[in-house]
Amino acid sequence: MKKYLIIPLAAFVAVLFLNFAAPEKVQNTNATFSPGLAIPDDVQQIIDNHCSGCHSSDSKNEKAKKKLKFDKLTQLRKSKQVAKLGKIADVIKEDEMPPAKFLEHKPQAALSADQKTTLISWAESASGSLVK
Amino acid sequence: MKIKIIFWILIAIFLIIQFIPSGRPEVKKDNPKDLLANNIVPDEIANMLKTSCYDCHSNETVYPWYAYVAPVSWLVSRDIRKGHEKLNFSEWENLNKIKKAEHLDSMSDELESEEMPLPIYLLMHSNAKLTPEQRQTLIDWTGDFADSLFE
Repeated sequence: MKKYLIIPLAAFVAVLFLNFAAPEKVQNTNATFSPGLAIPDDVQQIIDNHCSGCHSSDSKNEKAKKKLKFDKLTQLRKSKQVAKLGKIADVIKEDEMPPAKFLEHKPQAALSADQKTTLISWAESASGSLVK
Repeated sequence: MKIKIIFWILIAIFLIIQFIPSGRPEVKKDNPKDLLANNIVPDEIANMLKTSCYDCHSNETVYPWYAYVAPVSWLVSRDIRKGHEKLNFSEWENLNKIKKAEHLDSMSDELESEEMPLPIYLLMHSNAKLTPEQRQTLIDWTGDFADSLFE
């Protein structure tokens, strides 16, 4: 074999190796480090605009913080995540959150029907994939 | 003279209100769906639940004598009805895993914020008072028990 062929051949083998190795590596990372609970961007956006004012670590509403901090949700143990997700779906279905009193002062914080559906179906499917 | 009349009127009112039903939830001793009957719960935890929670959150209420005397009976009955509505350990196994986890999470919240047992209940049941250590033990158990549901 001619010596100058070694370099392109090596490159070809390297490319093949990377093609096979890379996706596998990504998959492995996912399996090992995936937090289990994912919050898609559209859901995160609704949370940021309608919920995090009270339900996050830097909120001053101690009662709301004690019940749920959205920024810590993915760090909770699985059973807690399932519980919180179930309650999120329930309070939105029952129109308990955002609280009516709060909406009197801040009507723009109200959730639209579409936003409610987005949150409820996220909470239910996320809970379903944690439990299965 | 006047005082005498007021006294008799009060007595009459007191007697009449005894006939107003208080809606006191019935005590049931046989509860096949009970939490403690269906799960391995450490004795320490079971005792705390029985002493501090079960009077309002189970069908096995131990009614004190004043629970039969209006108007206090109305207050007692109302609190127990509300307690049952929120959580009834006698019906535990009727809940699915997710609802169980939600209740255990609520228990941990209530214990942490010291909202339960109700102060008015502790007034007459000083043995139901939980020390900070007992609270923490119960809170830890709610987490462990909830985890065990999803193993």
